[in-house]
Amino acid sequence: MIDTNTTMELAKLGGGIAIGFGAIGAGLGIGIATKGLMDAISRQPEIAGKAFGFFLLGAALSEACTLYALVVAAKLIGLM
Amino acid sequence: MSETGHWIYNTVIAGHAMSFNLDTIFTMWFAMAVVIVFALIATRKLSMVPSKLQAVCESIMQFFWGTLDTMIPNKNRQHVPLVASLFLFILTANLMGQLPLRLIHLKQGELASPTNDLNLTAAMAIIVLVYYVFMGFKAKGFKFLFHEFSFTGVIMTLVELIEMITRPLSLAIRLFANILAGEILVSVALGLFAYLLPLPVMLFEILVAFIQATVFMMLTIAYVSAATGDEH
Repeated sequence: MIDTNTTMELAKLGGGIAIGFGAIGAGLGIGIATKGLMDAISRQPEIAGKAFGFFLLGAALSEACTLYALVVAAKLIGLM
Repeated sequence: MSETGHWIYNTVIAGHAMSFNLDTIFTMWFAMAVVIVFALIATRKLSMVPSKLQAVCESIMQFFWGTLDTMIPNKNRQHVPLVASLFLFILTANLMGQLPLRLIHLKQGELASPTNDLNLTAAMAIIVLVYYVFMGFKAKGFKFLFHEFSFTGVIMTLVELIEMITRPLSLAIRLFANILAGEILVSVALGLFAYLLPLPVMLFEILVAFIQATVFMMLTIAYVSAATGDEH
């Protein structure tokens, strides 16, 4: 017996939950990537510039997973 | 999509109802014009002793050649036209959304990046798909899809077929969602506190514009490299 209004509100709740869980993954991923960058730089300080480029690339790739969740959330709250 | 949504034009062509996102089309034409005019000006009056502009363009070409050399072992210079035009177009399109002054005033959906529309990024992803499948068939023939008749070979063929769907999907959604998220982030920061708070976010979005153009280019090169290479 859920009317349309309640469904809309529940969909907004679902959007919030979706982007929240999506952010966990990218947070972990970028954290691990930063750890790898720090390890690499402390072992070989001369590759810092090159390693930072690859770090940005990997961070962008792992951040993209959160943005898939963002698309789903935007769809759920009716932004798109 | 901006705060007001797309400027949509509905029409009927040959019995099919179609809708065009006019803001995306106009901003895409603007980005194309910027890239084309830049290329025309840069390639005029080439000389052995380069002028400043020519030196800049030569270093841009060096960037593409270096990236291709590291990722594809042989016959890599033939991919420069696709890779370079994708990179330059996406970079111009991404940076257009971060201009503080809106250059063109449209009826709706002000001059934001054309890449914040899924239709444009999906079209570019499909171009990449067609290109790497064509290059794979050209390099390996039918073996591109089906290299040995065994259990593993059949599984690999199925995986290859699934990748043909997931690769363009992830390419398109990654670029589109990054740019759209940036614009939403700027407008949220604007709503919180309109003075100085959006500034670091906008600077960050300039970095994101460069990174996303590089990511799109790198993934294109990686797909072409996997399709034409000997391994796997």
